[in-house]
Amino acid sequence: MKLNIDGLLVYFPYDYIYPEQYSYMLELKRTLDAKGHGVLEMPSGTGKTISLLSLIVAYQKAYPLEVTKLVYCSRTVPEIEKVVEELRKLMDYYTKQTEAKNDFLALALSSRKNLCIHPEVSALRFGKEVDGKCHSLTASYIRAQHHSNPSQPVCQFYEEFDAVGRQVPIPPGIYNLDDLKDFGRRKGWCPYFLARYAILHANIVVYSYHYLLDPKIADLVSKELAKKSVVVFDEAHNIDNVCIDSMSVNITRRTLDRCQTNVETLQNTISRIKETDAAKLREEYSRLVEGLKEANVARETDMYLSNPVLPDEILQEAVPGSIRTAEHFVGFMKRFLEYLKARLRIHHVVQESAPQFLKDIYEKVCIDRKPLRFCAERLRSLLRTLEIADIADFSAITLISHFATLVSTYSKGFTIIIEPFEDRTPTIANPVLHFSCMDPSIAIKPVFGRFQSVIITSGTLSPLDIYPRILDFRPVTVASFTMTLARTCLCPLIVGRGNDQVAMTSKFETREDFAVIRNYGNLLLEMSAIVPDGIVAFFTSYIYMENIVASWYEQGILENIQRNKLIFIETQDAAETSMALEKYQEACENGRGAILLSVARGKVSEGIDFVHHYGRAVIMFGVPYVYTQSRILKARLEYLRDQFQIRENDFLTFDAMRHAAQCVGRAIRGKTDYGLMIFADKRYARADKRGKLPRWIQEHLTDGSLNLTIDETVQLGKHFLRQMAQPFRQEDQLGLSLLTLEQLQSEDMLQKIAQIAQQA
Amino acid sequence: MHYINIIITMASLSEEVLLVVKRVRQRKQDGTLYLMAERIAWGPEGKDRFTVSHLYADIRCQKISPDGKAKIQLQLVLHTGESTTFHFSNESTALKDRDVAKELLQQLLPKFKKKANKELEEKNRMLQEDPVLFQLYKDLVVSQVISAEEFWANRLSLNSVEHSLSNNNKQEVGISAAFLADIRPQTDGCNGLRYNLTTDIIESIFRTYPTVKQKYAENVPHNMTEKEFWTRFFQSHYFHRDRINTGLQDIFSECAKEDEKGLKSMVTQGVKNPMVDLLSLEDKTLDEGYGTATVPTTSNSSNKSLRENSNSAIIKRFNHHSAMVLAAGLRKAEAPSDQASETSSTDGNSRDSDLFQPPLKKVKLQEAIEYDDLQGDSVRKTISLNLKKSDRYSHGPIPLQSQHYSTSQDIINSISIIQHEMRSYKPRLTQVMSSSAASSAITALSPGGVLMQGGGQQTINQLVPTDVQSELKHLYTAAGELLRHFWSCFPVSTPFLEEKVVKMKSNLEKFQMTKLRPFQEKIQRQYLSTNLTGHLEEMLQAAYNKFQAWQTRRMMRKT
Repeated sequence: MKLNIDGLLVYFPYDYIYPEQYSYMLELKRTLDAKGHGVLEMPSGTGKTISLLSLIVAYQKAYPLEVTKLVYCSRTVPEIEKVVEELRKLMDYYTKQTEAKNDFLALALSSRKNLCIHPEVSALRFGKEVDGKCHSLTASYIRAQHHSNPSQPVCQFYEEFDAVGRQVPIPPGIYNLDDLKDFGRRKGWCPYFLARYAILHANIVVYSYHYLLDPKIADLVSKELAKKSVVVFDEAHNIDNVCIDSMSVNITRRTLDRCQTNVETLQNTISRIKETDAAKLREEYSRLVEGLKEANVARETDMYLSNPVLPDEILQEAVPGSIRTAEHFVGFMKRFLEYLKARLRIHHVVQESAPQFLKDIYEKVCIDRKPLRFCAERLRSLLRTLEIADIADFSAITLISHFATLVSTYSKGFTIIIEPFEDRTPTIANPVLHFSCMDPSIAIKPVFGRFQSVIITSGTLSPLDIYPRILDFRPVTVASFTMTLARTCLCPLIVGRGNDQVAMTSKFETREDFAVIRNYGNLLLEMSAIVPDGIVAFFTSYIYMENIVASWYEQGILENIQRNKLIFIETQDAAETSMALEKYQEACENGRGAILLSVARGKVSEGIDFVHHYGRAVIMFGVPYVYTQSRILKARLEYLRDQFQIRENDFLTFDAMRHAAQCVGRAIRGKTDYGLMIFADKRYARADKRGKLPRWIQEHLTDGSLNLTIDETVQLGKHFLRQMAQPFRQEDQLGLSLLTLEQLQSEDMLQKIAQIAQQA
Repeated sequence: MHYINIIITMASLSEEVLLVVKRVRQRKQDGTLYLMAERIAWGPEGKDRFTVSHLYADIRCQKISPDGKAKIQLQLVLHTGESTTFHFSNESTALKDRDVAKELLQQLLPKFKKKANKELEEKNRMLQEDPVLFQLYKDLVVSQVISAEEFWANRLSLNSVEHSLSNNNKQEVGISAAFLADIRPQTDGCNGLRYNLTTDIIESIFRTYPTVKQKYAENVPHNMTEKEFWTRFFQSHYFHRDRINTGLQDIFSECAKEDEKGLKSMVTQGVKNPMVDLLSLEDKTLDEGYGTATVPTTSNSSNKSLRENSNSAIIKRFNHHSAMVLAAGLRKAEAPSDQASETSSTDGNSRDSDLFQPPLKKVKLQEAIEYDDLQGDSVRKTISLNLKKSDRYSHGPIPLQSQHYSTSQDIINSISIIQHEMRSYKPRLTQVMSSSAASSAITALSPGGVLMQGGGQQTINQLVPTDVQSELKHLYTAAGELLRHFWSCFPVSTPFLEEKVVKMKSNLEKFQMTKLRPFQEKIQRQYLSTNLTGHLEEMLQAAYNKFQAWQTRRMMRKT
């Protein structure tokens, strides 16, 4: 249908529309008009993606000079591909309606692992290996060697692309990862570099957060994206953690050992080259003297990881003399390494700030701040000069150099924690140096600064005001949309007690309590008897799940559950879990029914949807607080309190509730879907917890479902499931939660729609 | 249905008599009740023949008079709805007699019931589900063109061919996931444990864990008794997976290793559905060392406590167990269809390794982005036609004579040629037709014209009233059915078929007489074009010709 959104003609590729989609588009339009940033919360399964795409594409078509590009960031590869498919649907609709040839170029970009078509390289299993192998076939000096010595293998796809691929622009169209690969195969071009090149002039780019938020990668990939772009972060409820992750470094003893080997290799290579090709080193030196930051003109293929600090922090001056020659630099790295080793040899926990660390390093081994800042750049230059083939082998020393650059660049927002052992195993020495970023706004700041509109959206962003605070930006729109429903297809229940009236909670003091564990077991057992098909249960942590499973096993609860459903359990091994997950779906599919025991904050809770019969009930055992004893977390909480005036408890609860909401939200993926959401902890009933749930869940939490026993839960659940199992047709929804164009245009409907968005 | 009162003299009775009850009255007549292997019979006192005899298969149920009633009776209700009542009149033992008879019947009836009912139900179901068949049944059987048996004889077999997979090996009963839980050990009071094993459980164990079955085959009975085998099984670490210590002599440690291997191979095989592949979920190829998450501790399993190890062993075990149970259920179903599952049966992986990754991914992606309620009703999900040879579908069956096919390229070419010609067409005005010839050509080409006869068929639904149409349709289906029977007799290779073909021919004639003729007369009366039935007659004629040819050939062979 064709919509009129505040004066903008929007093509929407469906015959019907949800009221909240209309409302969402209105808010989005306002944000774009104001050229500002926005925070929008809308439940999953209400067609957020298509609304976003429809509006922004229409905006781009209407004002091609105002918005030149849409950069759509999502979290996982399947999600990226889903977005592109939705976009394809939209574009097909455009072509059908306007009968004009599509002149839009949209493409997905992913890592080499997902795009490589080289027969040998793409066969490798891990992304790191693919990157390394690719580098060893495409680096500029390898290709130079190939000229003089044709037996030196190169990647023919890259050669082909380099020869002709840049002159001919990729024809307009929608390119998903597989389409890019097909196109690459047809032309004989490397799809990865083709995509990286094509994003510069593409109208829409879909890729992962890291390509924009991680400075090491963003500098390579997204440096030249136009300022007049709209950036969308979908599924952004965890964006602060992504930001923090992209700036943090951990160093273990193993890292240092591997780094030691790297240094030795470098030393040997240098002395060998000195004998054979000393001119090369001299040339590098003279270039560095001349003040060229990089000794060679870097080609796209040579870059493995860019500088870990943000672009505006990178020093635009010559590399200091003390690390200019190759030997001196290696010597410098050696000294730095020895210093780190010494620091890891401690027996007590140390926490210090970056300036403290710099002071200490200056006193102990006389290393200045300035050369440290150039560490990353200098190492890159050296690796290139030495023509190191397999750069992946040098990951350890690269990591150390990144640490050096980061620690000497940022004096605020970071902390250094050295732990000699893990808390759980105090007898086993396993020293780790955490260089941890505490301020998510550091990594995302350039994004807000550079692009005219940044939209942060997700199904769970409550409470809405906290994101602008922790990410430090001023949004022009902040809104939460509810899900209009013709039937209440979600049923949140808070179970607080067992049938024996013992309180159910995962509170630290009572979580190992026999009665609590038994009651949790009984809850699952009872639910397994009444819920059809699939049940997903989430625990607060992996260790807690292991313990509970073990004691359920001893008590025979699991055996009884097995009478009703098959049991699958998430493990720490991703491959094993994938297998379990597929078997789980298979069991749901063939009618047997199954239970998946999983962990909040785990991979399953973040990336897998349990649509329809794959998840008829979600049980959240306990409140998924982050492990509060972690020193990194404590440091971060302190920082939040001091810098952003966010109280520790508020943040912890916010964090726990967003994960709980994520977990339970996995089961509802649309208005035709339905599922029970069981919060099994009495603490959920408290206003401070409940109030932090997304609005679309909160409004279905009645006072009657706040502190239920297991029996009551079973009764309510049975009733709900029976009601939901009745046929649900489109006519039932029409006019309420599903609108035709005429219904949408009616005056009172527009008034109703205005109430859907709740401004924060 | 067709139950028969068989009257057999006692003398010729060679059936096994299971029970004889004397002094049983039926219709106010004293007599004796006999329960035999396949039927129940009753004969009046002093006579040597049965006046009542029912096959067990014909009996729907038995009813007894309530306790305390004066008359002690047993009533048999037949499928036909009729019933027979027996009155046990021996004062002293009447109740006991009745109960004995009832008990025996209770055991016997279900055995026969299944067989009879299934067939009946099947027929009933087919008639209910298929209105065309029902009409056919009415046309042919009720009007007694052919007998019910003949009608079904062909039908049921046909049906069973279609459903051979689903019917013959009926759906395999899956394995309860909790079968191990059913072997709850009981203390026997003197410091020991007793496990109750049933054949079902053993079957479940074997099906779920093929390695145990293999061990069983290897060791029992040459190395140990069955009892010893199971004792060891329950003692083994294999059964108590959470206990880490393992005896060296444990014959099941190998099984555990096998399982481990199976699990590993399942894991390395990866998953087919890209949407659940957690390994390729993240689009990040950074090394460990970046980020706040601590380096996973799985690498140093040595510093894990014993308890943690056993915990993760339990978890592994549950995953494996569930996968095996799931696979055991599916294995049977797949076994006949593909050989590939042969290899996968040991690792609990029920799927065959196919190379259809990209389409599956596409499908899953499409599924994931679909909002069926936003879509208009125009998009209905349809079942795709599974064609082995699509060209046969589009061209239909063709005679084997060489025929010139025009490829689509040819067609496109010819169209473009015609278009080209049309574009450059110039009327030669000197050589035009006379106006009368032109107008007659136009009439001939207009609907109803001489040359448009062929197209006249399309208007049949306007020309002919609907009742006649539907009658015609019925005639067609009936004739089709009869002809199918007829043609299925060829080649006539057995005496049975010979007999049948003759009968079918007479059936066809009967059909022509009783059904087709009246219909023809009817349409004649309504002044409709008689060639409505022309095709039907042609079909019949073809069958007669075939029959004639066959008969003359047979005669010649005989002489």
